[in-house]
Amino acid sequence: MHGLAETASGAVGYVFPNDLHVHWSLMIVLYPYITGIVAGAFIVSSLYHVFHVKALRPIARFSLLFALAFLACATLPLLNHLGHPERALNMMLTPSPSSAMAGFGYIYSAYAVVLLLEILFIYRPTLVRLAQTSTGWRRSLYGVLSLGSDNLSDEALALDRKIIAFLAGIGIPMACVLHGYVGFIFGGVKANPLWATPLMPVIFLLSACVSGIAGIILAYMVIKRGEVDMTCIRTCLKYLWGFFILDFVFEMLEVFSHAYMATHHWETLHTLLWGPLFNSYWVGQVLIFSVVPFFLLGVLSLVRLDDGMVRFLAPLVSLMILIQVLLMRWNVVIGGQLMSKSERGAVFFHPEWFEKEGIVPAIVIMVLPLVILYVLGKIFPFWLPAEEKRG
Amino acid sequence: MQPSGFRAKHNTHVLRVLIVLVVLGVAGGLARALLLPSSFGKYGHYRADAVREEMRRPLRNMTNESCLACHPNIKKIHLAGVHRTVSCEVCHSAYADHIAEGKVVAKMPVRRGEEIRTLCLRCHNRIIRARPKESIKMIAMPDHLEQKGVRTDHLCNQCHHVHAPLKWIREARAAMGLPERPQTAAEGGVSWMRD
Repeated sequence: MHGLAETASGAVGYVFPNDLHVHWSLMIVLYPYITGIVAGAFIVSSLYHVFHVKALRPIARFSLLFALAFLACATLPLLNHLGHPERALNMMLTPSPSSAMAGFGYIYSAYAVVLLLEILFIYRPTLVRLAQTSTGWRRSLYGVLSLGSDNLSDEALALDRKIIAFLAGIGIPMACVLHGYVGFIFGGVKANPLWATPLMPVIFLLSACVSGIAGIILAYMVIKRGEVDMTCIRTCLKYLWGFFILDFVFEMLEVFSHAYMATHHWETLHTLLWGPLFNSYWVGQVLIFSVVPFFLLGVLSLVRLDDGMVRFLAPLVSLMILIQVLLMRWNVVIGGQLMSKSERGAVFFHPEWFEKEGIVPAIVIMVLPLVILYVLGKIFPFWLPAEEKRG
Repeated sequence: MQPSGFRAKHNTHVLRVLIVLVVLGVAGGLARALLLPSSFGKYGHYRADAVREEMRRPLRNMTNESCLACHPNIKKIHLAGVHRTVSCEVCHSAYADHIAEGKVVAKMPVRRGEEIRTLCLRCHNRIIRARPKESIKMIAMPDHLEQKGVRTDHLCNQCHHVHAPLKWIREARAAMGLPERPQTAAEGGVSWMRD
């Protein structure tokens, strides 16, 4: 933090004293990134459970666990950024309908309940079988997770299917609201010309879908290596392309509408995009990690490539898309704050490795969901057993 | 219906989920009842007692009127100069550092030597480009001293009275029989600032 002395000595040129420090740090870059992956992964699962895209069956259960692992860490960046995590639940004690920030907490909690219930209901037959075949503490754990019921009759399973359809059905709008809302929080900051656009929720939502699908493809291919279902991968790639077309087009339309409207803010935005953000925005986000994957995905979706080629390109393009979305979060969150409030130039942001919200904590927070996913994988089998695959 | 070899009924798990949700809801309600501060919501979405607690905090800052009540000579000069709207505490320190319960408890810090230059430049440094030039005289150091033809190690208060920066300048001009220079906006020439 800056003391008065640093503030006074740093406040030179066009920089106001309250401009010196980029307050929404790396943590606020990760917050929409992780939340987006959650929403996107859930949508992959819903494509199977609600829209009956049969090809996605092999990853339908996995995507829910993937979403849960990231959901468990979605609030960590915020808790680290704000400090005093013990106060986090105060907003549940005194709910404020007029607080945009608290609104995320309510949506997040409701969504967490829906996701947990959906996982438990979808996994119930598996959990019941595991409860019957395992011993010791695992048996007790599976007993609790299967809600103490061993009933797998047609009647019980039919009831489960209805409940799953209901949960997945309300889960889709909730996942969309979860991430669209993050975009709304940024879009609602009218003092920041880079953020204040009604397109922001749309862009955030579409990039969420894109990052979720890419994350699932990459994780599926890394975990299963040679045993991936190629029809499933090809279908995922088609959806990834579809969502990415919309995402990329809206991202560009946003910049073009700023440029075409050329309001009094455009000069600042222009200075920002062609100044400190040139490399991370035009070179990174747009050229390397949007245009290249855009064409790669087009080829993968339209040309019948052999399996070996798809096995090589699919994880590569997914990784590129994941980097694109991370860059987009960086360019929005950090970029938006690099405009001096005097609108006469840019300020600078250099994250440190070891500070509270530095690069190391950011890496830890990004690795943690993968650790949680590993632990979840020990309890909930990711993949369908061979006999269920045909079902 | 399939003949049941199962111990649980077909909807036992669903009922248990509902019970868990209801229990969680009730536990949340109880937690709220136990943890909510009693004065919350009395006036609005905040703890009403917080207002009283804040009011009990001892005041640190006061207005210029409080300071000038005991410093009549400074009052005469300060209120006649272009710094008349500048708070005493901006350059000195908080009132509470000097006075407690109506008594002087410590000497008020007065800036001297090089500190004066730093203090003046905090507002008047031309490098602060975000500040509109119209409302405040902006200068660069040592350009200003060179332009005025004085040594560059001169301190601001050798020519300017810190409470009324133009007081000595005007007096000197009058003593030398020079005409009064028309005031620029930065020197207090705006109608609402004029004496």
